[in-house]
Amino acid sequence: MTISKELKGTELKIALEGRLDTTTAPDLESVIKDSVSGVTDLILDFEKLDYISSAGLRVLLSAQKIMNRQGSMKVVHVNETVNEVFEVTGFSDILTIE
Amino acid sequence: MPEKSIREMNDFERLQNSLSARTFHAIIIICVVLSLAAVLFGFYLYTNSVRNQYTEKAEDAAKTIAGIVDGDEVGKYVDAVTETYLGLSEDVRQKPDSDEYAKAFESIADERFYEITELLKKIADANGLSTAYIGFLDPTGKKFIIVLNSDPSGDFKGSGHAVDVDKNVLTEISKNLSVIPALISKNDNGYFSLGNAPVYDSHKNVAGYAVTGISMQTVADMSRSFLIQYVIVLAVVTILMAVLMTLHLKRKLVKPVNQIADAAQNYVKDKRAGIISTDHFSKLNIKTGDEIENLALIMADMERDISEIENNLTSVTAEKERIGTELSLATRIQADMLPNIYPAFPDRSEFDIYATMTPAKEVGGDFYDFFLVDHDTLGIVMADVSGKGVPAALFMMVSKIMIKNHGMNGISPKTVLEKVNEQICSNNREEMFITVWYGILDLATGHLRASNAGHEYPVVMQNGNKFELLKDKHGFVIGGMSGVKYREYEIDLTPGSKLFLYTDGVPEATNEKMELYGTDRMLDALNTAVNGSPYEVLNAVQNSVDSFVNGAPQFDDLTMLCLEFKGGGKKTMKEITVDASVENIEAVTDFINAELEAIDCPMKAQTQIDIAIDELFGNIAQYAYSPGKGEATVRYELEMDPRRVIITFMDKGKKYNPLEKEDPDTSLSAEEREIGGLGVFLVKKTMDDMTYEYSDGYNILKIFKNI
Repeated sequence: MTISKELKGTELKIALEGRLDTTTAPDLESVIKDSVSGVTDLILDFEKLDYISSAGLRVLLSAQKIMNRQGSMKVVHVNETVNEVFEVTGFSDILTIE
Repeated sequence: MPEKSIREMNDFERLQNSLSARTFHAIIIICVVLSLAAVLFGFYLYTNSVRNQYTEKAEDAAKTIAGIVDGDEVGKYVDAVTETYLGLSEDVRQKPDSDEYAKAFESIADERFYEITELLKKIADANGLSTAYIGFLDPTGKKFIIVLNSDPSGDFKGSGHAVDVDKNVLTEISKNLSVIPALISKNDNGYFSLGNAPVYDSHKNVAGYAVTGISMQTVADMSRSFLIQYVIVLAVVTILMAVLMTLHLKRKLVKPVNQIADAAQNYVKDKRAGIISTDHFSKLNIKTGDEIENLALIMADMERDISEIENNLTSVTAEKERIGTELSLATRIQADMLPNIYPAFPDRSEFDIYATMTPAKEVGGDFYDFFLVDHDTLGIVMADVSGKGVPAALFMMVSKIMIKNHGMNGISPKTVLEKVNEQICSNNREEMFITVWYGILDLATGHLRASNAGHEYPVVMQNGNKFELLKDKHGFVIGGMSGVKYREYEIDLTPGSKLFLYTDGVPEATNEKMELYGTDRMLDALNTAVNGSPYEVLNAVQNSVDSFVNGAPQFDDLTMLCLEFKGGGKKTMKEITVDASVENIEAVTDFINAELEAIDCPMKAQTQIDIAIDELFGNIAQYAYSPGKGEATVRYELEMDPRRVIITFMDKGKKYNPLEKEDPDTSLSAEEREIGGLGVFLVKKTMDDMTYEYSDGYNILKIFKNI
């Protein structure tokens, strides 16, 4: 999985490419942990994300919890497969998906 | 004995043949015969004694006369008469009744002559003689010449009269004996008793003979009246006795016999009419004190016993009917318990199965069963409970349900048998046991896993060869001992192969000569239908068994099952074994993806499968052997018709059933959410089915995805 991030002031945009699964989730988790301080708007771009497993969901959940305290978080360009996972797991109610 | 039966006789004939009549006749006949003998003997004795008395009397009188008269005087008259008689001309001698004849002798009679005649007359009157005379034998010896006669006007006339004397008298007299025996003589006037005695002169010469006669007419009269009276008395006594005997017989024998006969008739009549009465015989009150009374008592006992037996019989029959009805219900319930609608799986082309059970009694202890464990797995059971009848049937029901319940969990055959054994052994006071063959067939591959708990060898036909016994390793019977381990074996059935299962009722079917059917005959019968359908295979065996036993009673249940594996499931299978580590998730995913791409799996399904692999293999990698390490196997299987992918994850780590974990609450807010369990939940939601089994130390988790 490839993670690319773009910081504009207090807005951080992270684009993912590939699979967010058990193997790659820890990578995303450390990226967010390192970059999130001072960020008020976190945008996760899933345009090129093939799929997400529960390990990825766990990272998204913790990110959402952090951002609930210091600003907001949204997930954009969610493909059908990933969206389905969000729907099934109830994450579509927790996350802000555009 | 009468020739007709008593039932064919009319009333008169019956009366004639009645005991009374016959007794009466018999008594009359006996009495008449006895009386006749008594009369004859009595009459003989009577007349004999009377005759003896009379002859003795006549003889005594003759001797008296011979003693009283003077022999010399008599001799003088005899000589004179003799001279005169001889002097008669032949003509006169021929006419003794003529006057001329009488005159010739007149001169002989003097005074003394009449005195002697008078004496004779006195003696005759005193002794009741009818006649008394003295005479001599004419020298020719043929005539007796009268000399002195007590009654000259009587039959013997006067002196010189010659009479034809009884020949016997003449014979006796001519012997010149001193004592002449008296005798009975007959002349025109009837019977006479004649006494004779010689008269001696002074020179002891026989001067003449004194003859006396007593008429026997009175004796004859007396005899006749004696006879008549005797007969009358005897006849009266006889009839009286016969009547009395008959009456007695009637009272003591005939009447009670008739009473018993009437009672028996009424008894039968009441029985027929359905009237319940038990005192036909006991109310008879026969007090004869003999065999008849005994007979009546026995009949009364018999009636009571029959009533008792009838009552018992009625309740026993009712009970039997009730049991019969319940048994036939039980038979139907038992039959319905076994799959018996064919074709059993009309929508499945990979196999065909047919089975029958023929219980020896109404209900049996054999059973077969088959069921789909999952889409690709067929469980097959053949079992035989020890014993027969209702107990075996009850045990059969329990065993069948247990085996199916465990079998439906998809666990291995040996585990099924072990679990059932433990369950049954935990409460088996009757010490029933059961032999079971249990196998599971992978319908896609023909792979058969089976375990045998003391059951008969299965028969397998492979690759178009013959049916042959598969001598598998038997375990102990189920219910025999707790803690028993069972072995498992595997064979691969090729398409067209057949599996034949049976109970011992087949090889142990027995004919009238007590010969066993045996497995050799069974194999021969199977091989006659080697290319037939399961139905035809079972028919061939059934017909062979039927013609072998030839109507002999069936001792044991007869249960058979035949499965034909047709194949056509076209399943492919591949597997990979790797270290259970997070690093290998990708390798596993690539392995599966290569297969999925080869079958042009839709992208969405593939993604879902990839997520599932990530979740499930990830779990194994992170938790199964933690903190140690171990291997995991991932198997890929593809089924056709319909297309379905099955992925199996196997590890030997800690026993863990992810399906038991509760689904997470997906309605909670981000702050409240727990992240655990989400992965398995996700898999459950995206896959079509998911199963878990723990067998032989393996966690076996399967996911199924229709594509």
